[in-house]
Amino acid sequence: MNPGEILEITWLSLAVSGSAVLLSMVAGLPLAIFLYFRNFPGKKLVVALINTGMGLPPVVVGLFVALIFWRSGPLGFLQLMYTPAAMVIAQFIIAFPLVAGISLAAFQQVDPEILLQARALGASGFQLVKVLLKESRMGQLAAIIAAFGAVISEVGAVLMVGGNLKGYTRVLTTAIVQETRMGNFRSAVWMALILLALSFTVNWFLTSIQQKGANRWKDRSWK
Amino acid sequence: MERPELEVRDLKLFSGQRPLIDIQEFKLRKGECLVLFGPNGSGKSTFLRILSFLQTPDSGEIYYQGERACKHNRRRLSLKTVLLLQKPVFFSGTVRENLLSGLKFRGISQSEHKSRLEKAVSLFHLEEFLERSPDELSGGERQRVHLARAFILEPEFLFLDEPFNGLDVHYREKLMADFYRIRRLTGVTTILVTHTREEALYLADRIAVMLEGRIVQTGTPEEISTAPATPEVSRLMGQEILVEGVVESSDGGLLQIKTHGQSVRAFGNQSEGERVLLTFRPEEVILAAERPVTSVRNWFYAEIQEIRRSDRMFLVVLECGFRLKAFVSRSSVEELQLQPGKKVWAGVKASAVNTWPGGAVEEFNTR
Repeated sequence: MNPGEILEITWLSLAVSGSAVLLSMVAGLPLAIFLYFRNFPGKKLVVALINTGMGLPPVVVGLFVALIFWRSGPLGFLQLMYTPAAMVIAQFIIAFPLVAGISLAAFQQVDPEILLQARALGASGFQLVKVLLKESRMGQLAAIIAAFGAVISEVGAVLMVGGNLKGYTRVLTTAIVQETRMGNFRSAVWMALILLALSFTVNWFLTSIQQKGANRWKDRSWK
Repeated sequence: MERPELEVRDLKLFSGQRPLIDIQEFKLRKGECLVLFGPNGSGKSTFLRILSFLQTPDSGEIYYQGERACKHNRRRLSLKTVLLLQKPVFFSGTVRENLLSGLKFRGISQSEHKSRLEKAVSLFHLEEFLERSPDELSGGERQRVHLARAFILEPEFLFLDEPFNGLDVHYREKLMADFYRIRRLTGVTTILVTHTREEALYLADRIAVMLEGRIVQTGTPEEISTAPATPEVSRLMGQEILVEGVVESSDGGLLQIKTHGQSVRAFGNQSEGERVLLTFRPEEVILAAERPVTSVRNWFYAEIQEIRRSDRMFLVVLECGFRLKAFVSRSSVEELQLQPGKKVWAGVKASAVNTWPGGAVEEFNTR
């Protein structure tokens, strides 16, 4: 496998998993906010379903997405099967419960008195949400880290709905499987290292944001 | 009479069947500091939360400057008020950011931020904390920042929930004095919640005593102290000694009351045979080794049970058929050589004894 090909595969991995995480944030955060502020019958069930979704096996997700987008499936006319879009959708389904569930848990960790005090100082509903997001940012970054970690490393779903088509839907994980099967351990190891480096770089970046000011409790004179 | 700044009518809030708040009428005058005074769990904080629209009552009407609050004007009226919760919680960020947060919430123009910040900082002496995180400050300093972020908003109504709670005596007195000065200076109409008598008497223009969700008496500190409306109010205002008795005779308002083998003289309008409760302040009780000849009408020969060191005085607990408490100075303890087991004379003027229509006294005696 030449370096150009590896670069292309790496880029597609990043693009597919990045888009899936981004979409899951767009959908998961508002859901978590809604669940935090609103009480309605069946809320517990919704939260339980989200929490269950956090442990969804990627192959199961792959199977259902394949059933939906298969030519004879309900959304078959969209002709998304074996496209990067289908891979994004599958990874979105894996990432979404992680973002929604961990964000909701993070919101619930915020001292409710902080929101009450914000309200009493004059915060509107929208400003209250901003306060909540700011006060729970550590937990939300943890949600993003968990979601990105889950999708960048999964192979079952992308393989089933993407098909590992060379130059089109091949990503790092599916390529590693392919190269190993063919006995091309050299390129498999290279791509495994790239996957680890990619995962580490993204997480390093997210962790640096998350941990800013996290150790405020530490007495500086200890140093 | 001028229109009250804030008026409450028939306000009720229930928890199941139990009423948490049941306030028939409540009025707040412009510029005054009303202290809502009562024991823990009497509904003071809940009342403040209702007034700030953080909690919705089951029924009742609230009028701000004559305008009845409803769901359409709730947001606008709530911006006239600031409530500081009992626990000073802060947003992440520096003290400066925390002070400015309320201004941002209320959409106050950037150009005004600087002048308001400078004013608040100088009033509350916050110069050295401004760029620090509130987490790094001591309890007292945090409380100071907490107060400042209310004053910086220059509200028309300031609602404070136990703002001096949990501070050491020295810092508390200092912050209370600062608050007293700043509040006078700004003239903001204030309701301050406390369960501490000392705070109520020092800071209040008027005191409203709250018990079990009801306001049982409203008046100046002087009125509440000298003419408490019920035995509960009298106990809250420091008249700790409660004894039950029966009126033996009445002579133009001067009663002779029989209680636990003793005879007590007191002023009251009860008639012969009626059961009464007697209260008097431990400060009003004097101790002597020999029974002196004075105008004091009530003298009891009592045995000292216990001597407790209190803030600045000693509290002597005596037994003379009923329990009696007296505050005495250190020099009195030394001069009279007071010690548990010793018998002394305890005196209290008839005019210092309050009488109440009789009732169960057990709950007070067990305290």
